Amino acid sequence: MSVREARTYAAFGFSTTHAALDAERLLKDLGVPVTPIPAPTILGGALCGIALRLELSDVERAQTLLERAGIAVASSGEMQDV
Amino acid sequence: MGTPKGSTPVAYLDHGATSWPKPRPVVDAVVRALTELGGNPGRSAYAMALESSRAIFEARGACARLLGVAESRDLIFQSGCTAGCNLMLKGLLKPGDRVVVGSMEHNSVARPLARLERTGVEVVVVKADPTGLVDPDDVERAVQAAPTKAVVCLHASNLTGTVQLIGDLADVAHEHGALMLVDGAQGAGHLEVDIALLGVDAYATSGHKGMLGPQGVGLLYLAPGLDVEAQIEGGTGGGGSESPDMPTERPDRYEAGTANTPGIVGLGAAAALLAEEGPAQRHREAELARRLHEGILEIEGCRVLGPPPAVPRVPIVSAVHDRVDADRIAFTLDRTYGIATRAGLHCAPWAHETVGTLGCGAIRFGVGWGNTDEHVELTLRALREIVTS
Repeated sequence: MSVREARTYAAFGFSTTHAALDAERLLKDLGVPVTPIPAPTILGGALCGIALRLELSDVERAQTLLERAGIAVASSGEMQDV
Repeated sequence: MGTPKGSTPVAYLDHGATSWPKPRPVVDAVVRALTELGGNPGRSAYAMALESSRAIFEARGACARLLGVAESRDLIFQSGCTAGCNLMLKGLLKPGDRVVVGSMEHNSVARPLARLERTGVEVVVVKADPTGLVDPDDVERAVQAAPTKAVVCLHASNLTGTVQLIGDLADVAHEHGALMLVDGAQGAGHLEVDIALLGVDAYATSGHKGMLGPQGVGLLYLAPGLDVEAQIEGGTGGGGSESPDMPTERPDRYEAGTANTPGIVGLGAAAALLAEEGPAQRHREAELARRLHEGILEIEGCRVLGPPPAVPRVPIVSAVHDRVDADRIAFTLDRTYGIATRAGLHCAPWAHETVGTLGCGAIRFGVGWGNTDEHVELTLRALREIVTS
């Protein structure tokens, strides 16, 4: 078993699971890699449900694409993850 | 055609109550949900729970595409059409409001309205004509009489098969500042339903009748921005769990509690199937219903309720005989011939009163998925034998 080094990622929180999955599908379809994760503590008041983890370098593009599609990001932040 | 064996009918003509048998893709989807999608959707991010969430997301999308709904989040999963009707009526109508409703409604609308009436909602019933059609001009006169919050009408009658002029009724409602609310239990699947084209504000439908999904699931469309008060509070799994109030975002606002994943996934498979085979299926079942209708009219003493055969209807053909009671006909059809039908009032006393059969009921033949020419021929022969014996 190897131990991977922690890195800094961005996390997007959504108000509903539907919105999170809508965002996941849209971003993956448009070539932005995202990983669904349990909503992390850094997202504050959204500690239940699913968030999306993505590379810091993809944040701006992802925000633009989601805004164009009318999918609201309820909260966002940076997190350490492996 | 064989003779009845066990409880499996030789000819199933109760599609107005629920469709049977379910198409194979629906059965396969339900089995997959039960065996592979065991996680609680919307709650966790482990792989199996995510797959459950994604399966519901995809099912919602398939239903939205089939029904002409632009944003799938505006399509709410309910336990059935009855739950959807209750939500749209109780979530919108408050004491002091006035509602205009057609006289062909099922109890899924009539009973919630009776309860609301006791809380101070004024309910004005517009009588349909003898074929079960609600005249938009009559509705307009009723709406003009006083400020009205909503017009309510079913899309198609579960008794007479009559298809209502929903687009015209929606125009009337909107011209006078009212909402248009529809019980589409017998509409979706049996009719090509495009909710955007109909221009309605809310449309509830069953998932297990013409939509061919499993029992225990239905849909409620709510127009964007329509503020309907949720009737059930509870866990939704998504963001904002720390709040004592339900989220304001759809669909979570109206979907508290663990979702019926097998039912929803099965309905999604049915919607995908209907997107492909719906037009051919609608043509087939309409043709069978027309032949059944014409054949019953040739049997002495039989009268068919609703519009004449040339007028399009959903594939429901209800009849009465001038000497033999409907319940006796239904019983003999089942026990002697293995033909499943439904006699009685069909949970629609308003409709029976409208067409003059409240005292005697009727026998209803509901045509749908899986029915054949042989089913129609057997039924006509059996009916002829029963009423002449």
